[in-house]
Amino acid sequence: MPTEVIMPKVDMDMASGKLAVWHVAEGEAVKKGAALFDIETDKAAMEVEAPASGILRHILANPGVDVPVGSPVAYIYAEGEAIGPAPVAAPPALAEPDAAKPAAEPEAVEAAALPLAGAADEAPRATPVARRLAREGGIELAALAGTGPKGRIQRSDVEAEIERRKTPVAAPAPVPAPAPAAPAYVMDWTPQAGDLHVTTRKGNGVPLVMVHGFAADSAGWTPLERALPRDLPLIRIDLPSHGRSPLRRIAGFADLAKALVQTFDRIAEGPVHLLGHSLGGALSLALADIRPRQIKTLSLIAPAGLGPEIDGAALNGIARASTADSLAPWLKRLTARPEGISHDFAKAAMLSRLDPALRSAQQELAESLFPDGVQAFDLTAALSRVTAPTLMVWGRDDHILPWKQALAAPGEVALHLMRGVGHVPHMEDPEAVAALIGRHLRP
Amino acid sequence: MNAQTHISQPETKTREMSYAEAIRDAMAIALERDPTVILMGEDIGTYGGAFQVTGDLVERFGKDRVMDTPISELGGAGVAVGAALTGLKPIYEFQFSDFAALAMEQIVNQAAKLRYMLGGEAAVPVVFRMPSGSGTGAAAQHSQSFEAWFGHVPGLKVVQPSTPADAKGLLLAALADPDPVIVFEHKLLYKMKGEVPEGYYTTPIGKAAVVRQGKDVTIVASAIMVHRALEAAAKLAKEGIEAEVIDLRSVRPIDRETIIASVKKTGKLLCVYEGVRTLGVGAEISALIAESDAFDYLDAPIQRLGGAEAPIPYNPDLERAAVPQAAGIEDVARKLARGQV
Amino acid sequence: MARDTQENLPFAIRAFSPEQLKEALRKMHLIRLFEEGAEESYMRGLIHGTMHLSIGQEASAVASCMELTDADKITSTHRGHGHCIAKGADVGRMFAEFFGKETGYCHGRGGSMHIADVKTGNLGANGIVGGGLPIAVGAGLTAKRLGRDDVTLCFFGDGANNEGAFHEALNMASIWKLPVIFVCENNKYGMSTAAAYATAVPNISDRAAAYAMPGVTVDGNDFSAVAEALHIAIARARAGEGPSLVENLTYRWRGHSKSDRNRYRTKDEIEDWMSRDPIQRFRAELVAHGIIDEAGADAIETAAKDAVAAGIEFAKAGPAPAITDVTKFVHAEEAA
Repeated sequence: MPTEVIMPKVDMDMASGKLAVWHVAEGEAVKKGAALFDIETDKAAMEVEAPASGILRHILANPGVDVPVGSPVAYIYAEGEAIGPAPVAAPPALAEPDAAKPAAEPEAVEAAALPLAGAADEAPRATPVARRLAREGGIELAALAGTGPKGRIQRSDVEAEIERRKTPVAAPAPVPAPAPAAPAYVMDWTPQAGDLHVTTRKGNGVPLVMVHGFAADSAGWTPLERALPRDLPLIRIDLPSHGRSPLRRIAGFADLAKALVQTFDRIAEGPVHLLGHSLGGALSLALADIRPRQIKTLSLIAPAGLGPEIDGAALNGIARASTADSLAPWLKRLTARPEGISHDFAKAAMLSRLDPALRSAQQELAESLFPDGVQAFDLTAALSRVTAPTLMVWGRDDHILPWKQALAAPGEVALHLMRGVGHVPHMEDPEAVAALIGRHLRP
Repeated sequence: MNAQTHISQPETKTREMSYAEAIRDAMAIALERDPTVILMGEDIGTYGGAFQVTGDLVERFGKDRVMDTPISELGGAGVAVGAALTGLKPIYEFQFSDFAALAMEQIVNQAAKLRYMLGGEAAVPVVFRMPSGSGTGAAAQHSQSFEAWFGHVPGLKVVQPSTPADAKGLLLAALADPDPVIVFEHKLLYKMKGEVPEGYYTTPIGKAAVVRQGKDVTIVASAIMVHRALEAAAKLAKEGIEAEVIDLRSVRPIDRETIIASVKKTGKLLCVYEGVRTLGVGAEISALIAESDAFDYLDAPIQRLGGAEAPIPYNPDLERAAVPQAAGIEDVARKLARGQV
Repeated sequence: MARDTQENLPFAIRAFSPEQLKEALRKMHLIRLFEEGAEESYMRGLIHGTMHLSIGQEASAVASCMELTDADKITSTHRGHGHCIAKGADVGRMFAEFFGKETGYCHGRGGSMHIADVKTGNLGANGIVGGGLPIAVGAGLTAKRLGRDDVTLCFFGDGANNEGAFHEALNMASIWKLPVIFVCENNKYGMSTAAAYATAVPNISDRAAAYAMPGVTVDGNDFSAVAEALHIAIARARAGEGPSLVENLTYRWRGHSKSDRNRYRTKDEIEDWMSRDPIQRFRAELVAHGIIDEAGADAIETAAKDAVAAGIEFAKAGPAPAITDVTKFVHAEEAA
């Protein structure tokens, strides 16, 4: 039997070695102990000696090839020994059930995939116990004035507020405390005047206009923005009753699209690239249909309006949630990896939703757009009319809008169905989405 | 100085003795009870030990059981480890805990790890006694507090008695323990008197003691800092501030439950320790609170008072300034209690 | 055989029975084959970390332990596989330890560098150069204090003779007249640094004079010479006369560890030492004195080969430790 020549482990933590050079050619004679080949490890090159005397045959690894430790790289046949068929490279020795392999792998603990939404710096300063008591008592910390150092809200401040609320005829409470059993739903919110809130990032070339989805705001684009080309100018629009835009009563989808078109007409100085997510996708589609010459390219991430199905419960739940604890379960539906939604993430997301009036306005909007949990608007016809090059990105694990709605797209639309991604691809895998958009914008 | 004693069996007959006498009493009882117990150390025989802790034990038990060792801390500690590994129960005295730096190899690489490296097939029941702490004017190489150093090593147990009763009970517990234990004895406490139960008893390793009850702020302290914390607490009480004082007693294992329960009650935590403040015992206590459900009860940032970021200086005023004193503890505890931190 | 002829025989042939000598040959083969098996397993990635092979030093390990019983202790070094086998350990459990298995001597917690078999008196290999020296003195102190007549044999390498622990340990063993035999396996190099460069005295045994104990240097590849030196030292220790220092001059054929690139020694030097193989030399001696014939010696080697193969299979089959047991054995169970 020929002697197997293996890639030896010559160093701690070495899993494979790069074969640097053979000192003996195939078919040549070699003596046991003579230099046979060199390997390169992370640290240095090292000479490997022949394990037997004979003729070198069946070289399986050429110079430059990385070979797993324990795998054969050649065979040495004794003088006169019959030469067998050329073997194929065997799987590495480590493949067999072995050694230091632990009996059970510990649960992998992965970091949260989603970056925190913005606005964290606007959180009120409060001690942990003050936060807990406020949470338990349904009190918004933002409504309290802290008496501690630098205005920190302390236990005594929350306790005083609880006492004050117990006294019915005392001064009118600025923020009504939501009863724990009933939803924090205030019907009597007051519509506000003013234009939609727009923010921009300067850059070179045609700008990208970004329209967020329901119950989100422009801060939600942050992860994607970091991954997009640095010089790409950006224009972000906060929808009515979202982010920093005024609270408005919206009669239906057409009314909402009108608000967007008005703002677009106000800010657009020439043709733009347009990007929308979810409800913002549907609105972008409508905008592209209404202002076709103004739109150079259209990018849609999980756009609404391409089928009746939608997870209405999740939308209502998000709009209604008054605490991080009630928000978190709905946020988890947004992503393919719910374990990425930590309590801290939910708390940060809740920070932009602290205003009960905003939550009420959004709930009303949800009722108007998605009555009885269906999408009451259909943009498939608009999609077939769009002339701008169109990109559509959808997560295959989208629990809010089923990805199969993407199949409503005509053939010219570039369709990307991402694996392991849910309803927010631009947050779950911003690099991949940015790469797709980047190529779409500047082919 | 008089100790507040916290002994679980109040019925036991007690006798007043100093911290040093209590340690000697523990060693005498151990030498009488168990023929495998030996004492080793530099000048522990006729001289009676650098701090006169072994005293007359050599006359009572002979030179074979109270062995003077050469000035060879590494070798001496290693001999104690080897003796413990093979059937004796040695108590090795370092003249100053600072000199344990010479023996780190045997304490950290050998004593602490042998049971583990040998898969539980061996035991090292050795006790290292280490006179520790500042306040004697002995400056940088004879005044350090190394409890965090050794507390960082799995396989070691680390205790810091603050009273004569605990000094005896913890030493006897250390000796009864099947694994290596380091006993930090505070040099300024050697002369402190207190009531000490007679006969054999052990104070459990890993159990802190609430030495003063209070609702406004928790002060966790160890060794001499317990007494300074109690002094501060007595002054605060006159202002209506009730500080709870916990004597840590064991650095490793640390008594999480007692500390967490107290912080949940008071919502305020001050850690006081003599070792260098950064990366010290107080950091561990702060972290365990931050990680526990007591976090949601905190009503102020956790505060630490520890040794200065400097070697222990010689000048007496500098030396006092280098480690926490009662006035400083009082000041921080008051601010914490009043919500001013 | 006439008495004067007897006295011309090598010490080992005179002192030990044919069974003892054959057993010694078996252990030397077993050490060599065990380490070759370990090396092969290492190269195949079955062994984690690194290890230090003592191939070429088998006579020193086996001859030093010839007169020890299980009650006698040894402390060993990072190059300790040979000591462990010489003291009576089972190669299957040793391989299991190397493979990180629960069935290993240290339940997978120690590996090659901490291999031990406490039941046969091996207090453990040690990853710290000089780490075992004070521990051996402590074991000697226990024997003396408890009035037992067991001795402790402390293996260390030439590198350790320049550690402070060596000097402190020898001094204390001497002042207390403890039953310790310090056995220096001088294989010429502490990692890459030559002992001749690093040590101020020509022979490491010269250090003994500073601690008022006998010191002797012998050919560590000569089984009989080592056994004779140890016979004298052990007798002195058992008689309560105190410690001795024996220096076995030997050579490791392999590098310091598996990471060694062998840049500090010449091929000629290595080949010269390999031509003085202590196993072949001992075997030839046994054959020459009629203790064993060639066929008998071959049979011993074959049996050792089989034992190593069986040991590797035993090790492979053993279970890995449970991940949840990562802190098991840090403290005694009852105290944990």
